[in-house]
Amino acid sequence: MKQTSLMPLLPISDTRRSFLTGISTGLGLAAVAHLMSGEPKARAEETSPSPLAARPPHFTPRARNCIFINLFGGPSQADLFDPKPLLNEQHGRPLPESFTKNVRFAFIEKETATLLGSPRTFARHGAAGLEFSDLLPHLATCADDMCVIRSMHTDTFAHTPGEIQLSTGVSVLGRPSLGAWMTYGLGSLSRDLPGFVVLTAGGRPPEAASANWGSGFLPPSHQGVPFRSQGEPILNLNNPAGISREMQRLQLDAVRELNARRYAHLRDPEIAARIATYESAYRMQTAAPELIDLSGETRQTLEAYGVDRVETESQLQAAKRAGGKGTMHAFSTNCLLARRLVERGVRFVNLYHGSWDHHDQLDPQLKYGCEIVDRPIAALIKDLKQRGLLDSTLVVWASEFGRTPLGENRKEYDKPTGRDHHPFAFTLWMAGGGTKGGEVVGKTDDFGWSILEEPVHINDFHATLLHVFGIDHLQLTYRFQGRDFRLTDVGGKVIESALA
Amino acid sequence: MVTNTLILNRYIDMVVSLGICLVTSTAICADETVDFNQHIRPLLVERCVRCHGPDIQEGGLRLDLRERAMEGGDSGIAIRPNEISKSPLFDRIDRTDPDLAMPPEGEGEPLSPDEIELIRRWIEAGADWPPDDATAQRSNHWAFQPIVRPDVPAHAVHPIDAFVVATLEREGLAPSNEADRATLLRRLSFDLLGLPPSPEEVDAFLNDDNPLAYERLVDRLLASPHYGERWARHWLDLARYADTDGYSGEQYRPWAWRWRAWVIDAINNDMPFDRFTIEQLAGDLISDATVSQRVATGFHRNYLHTREMDADKEEFRVRKIVDCANVTGSTWMGLTFGCAECHTHKFDPITQREYYGMYAFFNSTDEVDLPAPLDNDIFRVTTDDSDIVKAQTLVESNEPRPTHVHIRGNFLAKGPKVEPHVPAILPPLEATSERATRLDLARWLVSPDHPLTSRVAVNRIWQHLYGRGLVRTENDFGTQGAPPTHPELLDWLADEFMRRGWSQKELIRQIVTSSTYRQSSALRDDLVERDPDNRHLARQNRLRHEAEILRDAALSAAGLIDRRIGGPSFRPAVPPDAGDVVMAQWKPEPTPDQYRRGLYIVVQRTIPLPYLMIFDAPDGNAFCTRRDRSNTPTQALTLLNDPLFFECARHVGRRVVQRHQTTNERLQQAFLLTLGRTPSAEETDELNTFLAEQSKLLNKYPAFAGDIAGSSTGDVQETALWSCLARVLMNTDEFISRE
Repeated sequence: MKQTSLMPLLPISDTRRSFLTGISTGLGLAAVAHLMSGEPKARAEETSPSPLAARPPHFTPRARNCIFINLFGGPSQADLFDPKPLLNEQHGRPLPESFTKNVRFAFIEKETATLLGSPRTFARHGAAGLEFSDLLPHLATCADDMCVIRSMHTDTFAHTPGEIQLSTGVSVLGRPSLGAWMTYGLGSLSRDLPGFVVLTAGGRPPEAASANWGSGFLPPSHQGVPFRSQGEPILNLNNPAGISREMQRLQLDAVRELNARRYAHLRDPEIAARIATYESAYRMQTAAPELIDLSGETRQTLEAYGVDRVETESQLQAAKRAGGKGTMHAFSTNCLLARRLVERGVRFVNLYHGSWDHHDQLDPQLKYGCEIVDRPIAALIKDLKQRGLLDSTLVVWASEFGRTPLGENRKEYDKPTGRDHHPFAFTLWMAGGGTKGGEVVGKTDDFGWSILEEPVHINDFHATLLHVFGIDHLQLTYRFQGRDFRLTDVGGKVIESALA
Repeated sequence: MVTNTLILNRYIDMVVSLGICLVTSTAICADETVDFNQHIRPLLVERCVRCHGPDIQEGGLRLDLRERAMEGGDSGIAIRPNEISKSPLFDRIDRTDPDLAMPPEGEGEPLSPDEIELIRRWIEAGADWPPDDATAQRSNHWAFQPIVRPDVPAHAVHPIDAFVVATLEREGLAPSNEADRATLLRRLSFDLLGLPPSPEEVDAFLNDDNPLAYERLVDRLLASPHYGERWARHWLDLARYADTDGYSGEQYRPWAWRWRAWVIDAINNDMPFDRFTIEQLAGDLISDATVSQRVATGFHRNYLHTREMDADKEEFRVRKIVDCANVTGSTWMGLTFGCAECHTHKFDPITQREYYGMYAFFNSTDEVDLPAPLDNDIFRVTTDDSDIVKAQTLVESNEPRPTHVHIRGNFLAKGPKVEPHVPAILPPLEATSERATRLDLARWLVSPDHPLTSRVAVNRIWQHLYGRGLVRTENDFGTQGAPPTHPELLDWLADEFMRRGWSQKELIRQIVTSSTYRQSSALRDDLVERDPDNRHLARQNRLRHEAEILRDAALSAAGLIDRRIGGPSFRPAVPPDAGDVVMAQWKPEPTPDQYRRGLYIVVQRTIPLPYLMIFDAPDGNAFCTRRDRSNTPTQALTLLNDPLFFECARHVGRRVVQRHQTTNERLQQAFLLTLGRTPSAEETDELNTFLAEQSKLLNKYPAFAGDIAGSSTGDVQETALWSCLARVLMNTDEFISRE
């Protein structure tokens, strides 16, 4: 058997495997070995890295960290990234039947649906002349760092399966999420924080909720850890009332002594591993509060991210589904936390905001959504760049699908003011992490209905993402129920044109 | 993937239970002979057979059977041995022309140059392909052979020990000593009831001189109604039980628990496993079916459901039926049926057509929420809209739905029509009518000559009592699974299980009374070297408690646990500020109900209780044949700081302070309550030092004592001190493990 460089692909003994499962710490057993009396020799040498220890990729990576911004609900690509003048010319007219034949919609009544023009104005930005609508003035200034894929497509037109596919590669529940695959393949670079952190803003989780950051059949230590925006950042991080840090240390020492004694008696490596995870938890108790303490950030930085912004009454009225009061603050803070997490080595940071599901009143709702996210995301890209982190950090803007060029004509609507779900052609973008700045990948037809050039399936996108991290998506597999599963299921092709 | 397959053939035994995949960069050395089974068959199966196999024969070509392959297809011969230039098959795989290249674009990965080279060499060497009879040898796979009761070796009195010791002697290993009595009591209590023994039970057992004390303990525990709770939870994992629909939102299933209650009752009554099977898969089809038998069909109602307006109804109905087929295949037969949904199984003899034969048994079911009155309603179940208490059931539709093969698993791409039938590799099914029914299927599964059902069931029971099954790949008895570590013992148990009328209690009694079960779980030096994975069973295994059991253990130590059995699910409290992300809809139950056992906690599929996920409970989105036992910092944070666990520590503290006076007595009692044993002299010394240090800190910060004790009455300082001690004990690895 050829030995490969990717740790999780190596056969390790059964005991070793269960021994390692879930030890999320850089503290190897060697470090705890001295705690033990009666240490058998063989054991001391078994100082393998934990499943979350950093591991070498298949080939030289471009990126080390990922900030994956998931704007679920389906922002309208034709109003943001992929201008279609023909929609305005043909506004109110039906699409030729050949387009919609055999197409199933979530809500549109096919027989009477007509095209919906866009009131947005588009302009070219940056040296490469990327097009953005007037709703994204800040992001537009990052044009030369962005690679916009206009030819995304996915398999389903309903939110939940669509979200699950974006997060796990297939539309069925139960598969590991992207971040779980990444920490499984590469480990974490952080000693004191989880390898995969989830931050949500807007008061509602995506439809499929924690399935989006679950570990599926991978060991549960790879699941995303949600950080909370109020109270303690991680569930149960704080000691119970009355237990001071001094007492915590004293009690942990007593626990460790008892565990070490038990270990000497039973020699079960799980006990040694347990000692290590308790130390890791103790360190997390310091590291997590330090992470969310923004007092060291400059006024300038906080302003750039828009951390102190407050929604106006009219904004709140216009868009009830985008999160209530405090969403702007929460999303901006999350963007800033994303940078701080990356600085501390967290491998995969997953930001959520929604919903961008604009079936009606699309204009005011989309406008407000963009007001929430445009400024902080642009600030994040610039901040990373200024700190020399953008080259090694991949930033992604993604949603489960896009929106139809047709207006949505549900019976209860007076007239179409929004768009339905569109899985056949939509836009997402990447920045940094060795992707090609100022680039547009793919081309859609004049209606934005279907893809003309370089179709990119979700599996292709995931293959590309793994590639950027030095992982061959065909080789990152996990055997479960008799099958070697991968993030890209049975598909996946790296989009070479997106790479710098 | 193909190279994986090659290597995997060689390393199956090594890796298969590990969930690990091997990768290599080159497939074969230049001077190695190309072997059909090893090198070529996997390529054909992986890249060609989907369109040129039993279900579909594009161009009339079939590449899964030698005779058919050599006959060629519609356009003539495909493979000419020794004549590469006259073998159109080679020509097609060696092309880049998108109109002619095989596999066609979008139908799978093109063959790599190495793989093309393999096929070239194979054809040039004569395209050796063993006759079809010989290749059907895959059916010689052990798990598909009839169960033959082996002779019990003469190595020990207890039959299980006889088999195990025979292996140990062969390996030159000695079994471990029996665990001490306190450990045995605790192990049995957790394994059979999921609850720790009380200090009184510990005292009684340690002082029971009767030579049959252990056997009497086993009898007592098997008769406890908590036995049904413990073993129902194992079954719920397989049945992907949940209290919500899944997919999105949190649509609550007000009646899901009725099926759970049925399972608890059935297991407590030791319903024979054959009846247990038949009622759950086809209770509605039994003549004059009782309400209880109909409630049993709730097994498959546990599948996911969507009420999303934007979803395609047929697509989601199909997903349910696919789930029924997969869960049935896994739960009763330990087969990876799901692999055959989109194409013929790559490794096991299950064709895609056979997959849809299985699917067809379930394809005509309809959902009915059946009125099902409660006999003894101790929970005072109330309903929102009416007084009708219901249960989720399945019934056979009046109009059978036709079943077709779904080409590549796409429900819109209908292939040939299929009638309900079972895989040809297994014994034939005797249909009672023209068209085989679910009832026929259920009876077939538990027929005495079925080679899988009994083996799979006893293996799973063994797994719950040892941590791992005799077949370590409990979810894969197929050709890619691990062979049994003790094949004869497995078959003896499987046969014994049926002989004893499929009685689970009898089987468990048999296993736990063996010396093999009663061994110490300590890892001996020689075993570290010789058998670190404990394949030979020269010791017991130490197992971290499951999420629900861990919570039950803490509540029991605290004296808070509510032992009422059955009833609707409940929502425990979550921290008040936990609502921002995931628990917004979570409305906790009033306090007393919160102390019910963990198996009654509401399983919310998309937003599960964080505690359950942190300790590896399944979320009900997919069936779970074996839980992980992870070891993470968030577990440490939970045990240290979660309000419920701290409350339990505090109650242990209060109990020892209120009932005992001296430090020594208190320490003894704290150990008995939490660990079911008394402390050693060294532990006593160590903890006395701890108590002194902790006292100093409490004296230094007197205000903290009240917070820790949780009340200002009584001896606050002492209660706080002993709560801290209890917190220490309840964070040890011993507390959270069954040894």
